[in-house]
Amino acid sequence: MFKKMIAKSMSKSPWIYHMNTGSCNGCDIELVACLTPRFDAERFGFKLAGSPRHADIVVVSGPITSQSKDRLIRTLEQVPKPFCVVSLGSCPKSGNVFKGSYSVEAPLDKYVNVDVSVAGCACKPETIIEGLYKATLILQKKREAMEK
Amino acid sequence: MVQNMLMNLLHIFIFPGLLFVTVIGVLMTGIDRKLVARMQKRVGPPIVQGFYDFFKLMGKESIVPEAANKPAFLAAPIIGYVSLVVMVLFIPMFSFSVYSGTADMIVLIYLLTIPGVALIVGGTASGNPYAGVGASREMVAMIGYELPLILSVLAVCRKVGGSAMTFSLNEIVNWQAANGCALFQWALIPAALAFLLVIPGEVGTQPFDVAEAETEILEGPLIEYSGAPLAMFKLNTALKMFIMPAMFVALFLGGVHTGNVVLDVVLFILLTGLVSFITMTVPHAIAARFKVERLFKFYWTLVAALGLVSLVLVWFGL
Amino acid sequence: MSYIHFPVIAVMGQFLAAFLVAIFGSKSRKASQAITLIASACAFVLVCLLIKPVALDGQIISYWMGNWEPVSGYAIGIGYEMDALGLFFAVLVSFIILMSAIYSLRYLEHDEAVDRYYTLFLMLSGSLLGLVMTGDLFNMFIMIEIMTFSAVGLTAFRNYIPEALEAAMKYLVIGSVGSSMTLAGVALLYAQTHTLNMAQVAAKIGAMQASGGLTPTVVFAFGLMFVGFGIKSFMFPFHTPVADAHPVAPTSFSMVFSTMVIKAGVYGLIRIAYIVFQVMDKSSVQILITAFGCVTMFLGVTMALAQHDFKRLLAFHSISQIGYIITALGLGTALGLTGSLFHVMNHTLFKALLFMCAGAVLHMTGSKNLDELGGLSKKMPHTTICFLIAAFSIAGIPPFNGFASKWMIYQATYEKAVESGNFFYALVTVVAVVVSVLTLASFIKVTMSVFFGQLPEKYKDAKEAPASMLIPMWITAILCLGTGVLYQLVDRTLTAPAVAASLTPANYVDKMMGSGYAASFSVKDAVATAVQHMSYWNPVLWLTLLVIVMLGVFIVILSGDNERGPVLKTKEPVADGKYATFFSGEKYRHSHMGGSDLFWGFKHDMKPYFDFIEEKHSGVLTDYTLWTIVAMAVIVVYTFVFVK
Repeated sequence: MFKKMIAKSMSKSPWIYHMNTGSCNGCDIELVACLTPRFDAERFGFKLAGSPRHADIVVVSGPITSQSKDRLIRTLEQVPKPFCVVSLGSCPKSGNVFKGSYSVEAPLDKYVNVDVSVAGCACKPETIIEGLYKATLILQKKREAMEK
Repeated sequence: MVQNMLMNLLHIFIFPGLLFVTVIGVLMTGIDRKLVARMQKRVGPPIVQGFYDFFKLMGKESIVPEAANKPAFLAAPIIGYVSLVVMVLFIPMFSFSVYSGTADMIVLIYLLTIPGVALIVGGTASGNPYAGVGASREMVAMIGYELPLILSVLAVCRKVGGSAMTFSLNEIVNWQAANGCALFQWALIPAALAFLLVIPGEVGTQPFDVAEAETEILEGPLIEYSGAPLAMFKLNTALKMFIMPAMFVALFLGGVHTGNVVLDVVLFILLTGLVSFITMTVPHAIAARFKVERLFKFYWTLVAALGLVSLVLVWFGL
Repeated sequence: MSYIHFPVIAVMGQFLAAFLVAIFGSKSRKASQAITLIASACAFVLVCLLIKPVALDGQIISYWMGNWEPVSGYAIGIGYEMDALGLFFAVLVSFIILMSAIYSLRYLEHDEAVDRYYTLFLMLSGSLLGLVMTGDLFNMFIMIEIMTFSAVGLTAFRNYIPEALEAAMKYLVIGSVGSSMTLAGVALLYAQTHTLNMAQVAAKIGAMQASGGLTPTVVFAFGLMFVGFGIKSFMFPFHTPVADAHPVAPTSFSMVFSTMVIKAGVYGLIRIAYIVFQVMDKSSVQILITAFGCVTMFLGVTMALAQHDFKRLLAFHSISQIGYIITALGLGTALGLTGSLFHVMNHTLFKALLFMCAGAVLHMTGSKNLDELGGLSKKMPHTTICFLIAAFSIAGIPPFNGFASKWMIYQATYEKAVESGNFFYALVTVVAVVVSVLTLASFIKVTMSVFFGQLPEKYKDAKEAPASMLIPMWITAILCLGTGVLYQLVDRTLTAPAVAASLTPANYVDKMMGSGYAASFSVKDAVATAVQHMSYWNPVLWLTLLVIVMLGVFIVILSGDNERGPVLKTKEPVADGKYATFFSGEKYRHSHMGGSDLFWGFKHDMKPYFDFIEEKHSGVLTDYTLWTIVAMAVIVVYTFVFVK
């Protein structure tokens, strides 16, 4: 019974840890906009957590500057399993307009297995919510896989 | 004998002990979040969101950081949770009471410090400096609210006891049964206000959540917690959300005797929910977080003055 | 052999052993340690054997030295008189002495000339035992003098530390002022009553009270002796030498100093106020003592919050806890005295334990600076557990013993407030509760900055304390929990008889001077009547419930049986990776919350107050002596004006 409830809860209460790796803040404010009355991501149980130890979904925005790369990896290591990584916007996906810069180390999938990529520059709150929702389903699958 | 023992076990584990208080506490967090959302014109999470959070955390990996003291780190949440569950057994719910003859207000106030101390010890045992800051703030908040808390409790005790000393919750409840709610004694209104303001500080909800300010110090003492121990700490907060308003109801809104125990208990829970709404949900929706030194000043000046006014009024026979 | 001789043998044994150590100890360290251990163990056994006849059966042992019995109603020899009050203190003294003796075996391993330490130590223990057993005022003064001077010597034992000499000097000067006050009081009493025997003095003063009140001489004597014993118990404003003495004294002495040397003053206060002068039913005396106690506890704890030296912090907590004791004994009610005496015992246990933990940390790391230490819980797990037990006890967390006594004190002060209608006592209750929280804060600070947090690089080879230090620590720790849980049993065996003994001066007089003597002088039978309100805290029930619920929780957790992944595998400190501390993604580096960094909001708001008290504690001996003299003048004037 517990296992079923845990598996179900996995997708119902995703706590988000947000990492800004050199983002222009465009995606960041859109992420915050998700929690506003207009979009209200909290109805899916989303909540911003303060520490990676509490996180279920790590949201990464920005083109991974070389300054933030180590910190990103270190933080991702400290997240308890199961967890998902969501990349926010074009920057972590490709580097966007910063691609080729000496100080940019995108894409994110070089370092970690990205579960969901939300596209857009900056991405719309609707798409963010959809991406996060998809991540919760993946989270539930990961949890079920962990039990086997 | 056997029946007696079974009754005791029933009280401890089902009602009003372990199961009941956990379920109602977690439900109250859900209702709180829902209501806050509605006040902000949002849909808000489902009411059972607290259970989802709890079970999700139970299903996560529990990491003990290398710098932590493992026994203290893992034992702290359980000690806090268990001591809160035991506390519930000592609070009389109008005419229904289990062990309330064996603890008085002072004992309850001190039992209430155990979860706070557990949070502090667990947080500091994690070895994270953010947790240290959080624990330090938790302690400052504790120093802050303890003064008005004791002042308002003493005021009620003086009113109830008259010229005889009493701290007993049972006596307070019985006195209210005879003389009407303590809240309607106008000399006790400042004390009631002080107690209402103490509740969110004790529970640690906004605007008094300086210790676990997730945007400043990354959830403070809880920063290194994950998985099951974190779930236990979340339960602690949920339980406190029930216990503190319950104490308020017993102290100030007691004395309802409908004659039916079940009805009494239901009424008690409803009143508790109402107090919880007034003291935690509304400030949560409308207020920003205090700075820690403002919080301390607030409690030791305004709230303490309310308690003191009440004590003086009661003392001189009003 | 009859138990009548036990008290005298216990005292004499200690003094004899002191001389034996002085003679044989210089040759070998082992000899002095063996003599000390044997003597203190003997004293402990002898005193414990007295619990049955004295405390439980309610007898009072009187013993005339050299069989100089009273001649025609006048006591001419030195009489020893052991009632339950004296026994209560004697049990604590001998227990702490024994613990300290065991603890010092390894603790003093780096010190030279330990024979001198043990000589002074045995003189101290002998004088403490003598003090609580004696029935003679001048003998009491002598014992207090021996105690003070051996304590001064022990404070300066590590005389290569300049601060030790300075602290000893401060203690010497202020202690001597206290002694001379006591002596002056004794002399005045002698002038008035022509006797030095406490029982007889009590009888004469009882007669005086029955017929038209105390004479000015007696009132003056009371004022002086109150100041004298107040100085010995280091209440405000005489508390200054303690803070300097503790950080430099050897810890095995600190624990005796903080627990029993201070309590000698408390014992003196109870003895003179309740039995000799029988003034505790006067509200002016009650307010005087309670007010001083109240200020003492608040000042002590706030000064402790500002400290960053482990042992100095503990020293200020001794002052604060003594404040509790004095407050409660000043109420003059049975419940107050019960709370006071129970707190005496609890403070003895947990403060000794705290000092032993501080000593263990100091011995194993060489530091007692709260800003430097950190993370020792992994290196010293036993010390950490003992420290936590002691810290929870002193902070009054149920079910440890500090809670039981504090709870009695709150009840007693509030009962007094309600019964006398005096708002002052209600404020005392409030202050007592606030001080309790501040105590908790202060110990959270120590816990955080010494035992938890991050281990500094230089202490990574620290080890657990040796067994000879851990054994007394564990014994005391278990007693801390035991006396808290079974407080009603402890109350029945030790404190209740002691309270009864202090409240019935007539019995005391009769036993010493022959029955009927008290009645002939119309000594009041009871200063206050014994009433008990102690049914609301039932630690056994609470613990049972706690255990049952915990079992339930564990069953639920275990039946869940879900894979929650690995918990902790790494042993070595890691800079990176899953088990590293989270620093917002930064690499691991040593970053520890030192003791001085804590409680920012509180310290910020209270800054004017903290600045004021820290400025006033200038550390200048003349200032402190001035405080003492001024306070003495105030108290004497107060007694003249208000005590009739």
